[in-house]
Amino acid sequence: MDVEIEQVGREKKEQVLIRCHAVTEEVREIAAFVKSRQGRLTGMKDSRQYEIAVSDIYYFESVDGKTFLYTKEQVYETAYRIYELESMLRSKNFLRVSKSMLLNLMKIRSIQSALNGRFAAVLLSGEEVIISRNYVKGLKAALRGE
Amino acid sequence: MSFKQFFIEKLSLFFMLTTLITIAIFVIGSAFDAEARFGYEAMLAPLRYAACCVLPTFATYSKRELKKKELIARMALELVLIEAVMLFFAFTSPVIDTSRISVVLVIAGSVLIIYTMARLFSWLRESAEARVLNEDLQRFRQLHGQK
Repeated sequence: MDVEIEQVGREKKEQVLIRCHAVTEEVREIAAFVKSRQGRLTGMKDSRQYEIAVSDIYYFESVDGKTFLYTKEQVYETAYRIYELESMLRSKNFLRVSKSMLLNLMKIRSIQSALNGRFAAVLLSGEEVIISRNYVKGLKAALRGE
Repeated sequence: MSFKQFFIEKLSLFFMLTTLITIAIFVIGSAFDAEARFGYEAMLAPLRYAACCVLPTFATYSKRELKKKELIARMALELVLIEAVMLFFAFTSPVIDTSRISVVLVIAGSVLIIYTMARLFSWLRESAEARVLNEDLQRFRQLHGQK
């Protein structure tokens, strides 16, 4: 696939246009990446696609090889793997808190001890998620801006 | 949890138990057999007992991240295993008079107290760490425009 960048004047709308022979998985990934850079992600629910603002996402979780994104009240499936989301959303205050979870730090209300060296993050929705002890060091560094 | 981390945690539990068992032997010994005298080999007793208490807890290892309730259930299982080991030692030891019910109760009670104290110390340390994390979280939220 050739990549072409065309500069346009301020009066014209900025646009990413993908011209392809077929809408493959690769094309969908490129489109999703562009959306994520603009602060939006595509989620699937009941065979329908939804555009979700990244700032509304509480966390991503990988369950049985599938990745789900959780907002305050809804759950959507996303095509991304946790590690892909981790690198895409690092600048948007998302942090890996366990092997299967990527958490939006801005959605944490408080942090509690959860026994055995682990911690539990109480989210703004009231839900509790476990911060695995492997990732506590990373959490401390992220909160301190290190 | 990786096995390496689990092992490190058990090592920390071992040293905590060694200290607490030494204190328990002093207290129980002073109360029941204050005149007894021992050789240098007695110095190894707390280490041996702590090791025997920690070994059965390896049965509670899980690779999966346990939920709070599951973890509490595992801890209860750990305590039962430790009680079983210590009572086995007591009943097979020629120097411990297990025919006296008070001796058996004191040993079982001591194990319970020691285990609870070891867990309490860990919990206090983790709670202090959680307080620091909450302060960091507060600063982080303020920095990123949320209160």
